[in-house]
Amino acid sequence: MAGILIVAEVDAGELRPEFWELATVAKALSAAVPGGIRVAVIGANLAAAVRQAAACGADMLHVIEDDRLAVPWPEAHAAALIQLCGELAPQLVIAPRTILGAEMAARLAVRCRWQLVQDVTQIEVTADGGLTATRPVSGGAVAATVRAGPGPWVVVPRPRAFAPAAASASVTSASPVRHTFVPPPLATACGERQRVAVEGISIDRAKTVIAGGGGLGGPEPFTLLREIADLVGGAVGASRVAVDSGWVQSALQVGLTGTTIAPDLYLAVGISGAIQHLVGCSSSQVIVAVNSDADAPIFGIANYGVVGDWKEVMPAFRDKLAGHRV
Amino acid sequence: MRVVVCLKQVIDPLTPASTLALDKNEKKIRVGIAAPPVINGFDEQGLEAALRLREANKEIEIVCLAVGERFNNDVMKRSLALGADQLVLVQDPSLDTWDPYPIAAALAAAIRNIGGADLILCGRQGSDWDNALTPFILADLLALPLLSLAKRVSIADGKRVEIERVLTDGSMTMAADLPALVTVTSELGALRMPSVSARLQAARKQPRNIAWTELGAAAATLLAPEVIDLAIPVNGRNCTFIEAADGPSAGAQLAETLLQAGAIRLGGEC
Repeated sequence: MAGILIVAEVDAGELRPEFWELATVAKALSAAVPGGIRVAVIGANLAAAVRQAAACGADMLHVIEDDRLAVPWPEAHAAALIQLCGELAPQLVIAPRTILGAEMAARLAVRCRWQLVQDVTQIEVTADGGLTATRPVSGGAVAATVRAGPGPWVVVPRPRAFAPAAASASVTSASPVRHTFVPPPLATACGERQRVAVEGISIDRAKTVIAGGGGLGGPEPFTLLREIADLVGGAVGASRVAVDSGWVQSALQVGLTGTTIAPDLYLAVGISGAIQHLVGCSSSQVIVAVNSDADAPIFGIANYGVVGDWKEVMPAFRDKLAGHRV
Repeated sequence: MRVVVCLKQVIDPLTPASTLALDKNEKKIRVGIAAPPVINGFDEQGLEAALRLREANKEIEIVCLAVGERFNNDVMKRSLALGADQLVLVQDPSLDTWDPYPIAAALAAAIRNIGGADLILCGRQGSDWDNALTPFILADLLALPLLSLAKRVSIADGKRVEIERVLTDGSMTMAADLPALVTVTSELGALRMPSVSARLQAARKQPRNIAWTELGAAAATLLAPEVIDLAIPVNGRNCTFIEAADGPSAGAQLAETLLQAGAIRLGGEC
């Protein structure tokens, strides 16, 4: 068992951006985990993604390209990863904490009985050959330090906890190694996939996010948030309450089971700040909260706060910005 | 047809962080005040999925199963008030662990002990450790297909389970032959409320306790990382509250403050 294997997730032919955060972790650990850095690119229609991944400076790229991997079918993608791990015998596998990546990591770890270290915010390989990591627990209310034995390890970094690595000028020179997908019999079957177009800018990479929660009381007030987002060139987000109530689509959800974001400005309107929400937005540069409850936990992580009714506060906020713009 | 719903008792995620206490010796999180635990919210949605399945097929037997150190009976018996036919508890001090392998082994042994299951429903993850690992180990131990993140679950011809799986940008349909394990996500919808009469009836029902030793299950493994320290993270932010005569003035003042601080750049790129 030697070396590091990064799992590169590909969505619609494009390398997902989390890849560059995984590359940072791989580079930081490469001295302590000798054997080089390899990248596993798994999916279908991979030409562009393989080219993009080559710029991370890895020693080798390994590709499994198969039509059965065109959809995010967890069992099939995990089978491809397990196959590659059987052939490459890595000491450390690093996978993204996405819906597909986290499940591939879990299936790999359980099948191989390798130690899975999830949601990692800091990590180091210790002198005795073990691995020590920090991770949030109870939705971020507590930080746990965990220790894994001699490995092999499957590590899933927390999104946004590591700065993305810059693409290297010296791309991987060796041509990618292609592996034929030979899965065992698969017990699950995949049907149709439906994509819901995201309205406006995605919260994932927006520099400003204006999010609404249960305090808004329904879907209509999100129109006001959308107007403000448009004024500042930002995105509209939402708490789990707003998503589970069906007011907005789930792609807008900020939090533990939604997206972890780190914009320059996060404006939370009518969001009390359940701990699982806070962990999804606490890395934002500036946090602003508008809430009628002065004791709402969101104020505990905010830089600026207004205690008041959003129905009174937010239209005036929008008008002031609109007035400045003309 | 038997549907087993796995329930985990957790610290209420709405418990304010300020009341959490850390047991540094035991490496455990305790609730400082007497806040009752809750059933993991995602597991409650698993029970809701089971209740919906039984609305479509009255022949379905629902068994709720929980393994852990010690249970709050009133909290767990809510499942009986909602219509679970049986509540099975496996309680043992050794099950107070962060290691999901003995937990999954206890669940698997208990399911075998009660005669198996056609469908096992679990929440997508626990709201405490968020590992989403126990269902995968359980499916592995019982050699069952696993479908994850269901927001809709249905059974076709009594032989096959079909789900709508949530994705970040939409959904996909998936299916597997029974017996199978399905994990359920919050988009499925909240657990219904029990009626008062059902609660009173449930108060007289008792859970079935199975002793951990009776299941002959294994001890802790070396497969999960060990917790070596717990700490409450310090948040360095100090909130500046906008004081104003009324809501509209506060809104205008907030806009002005953020513009001056450079936090908002109008017409800036996204």
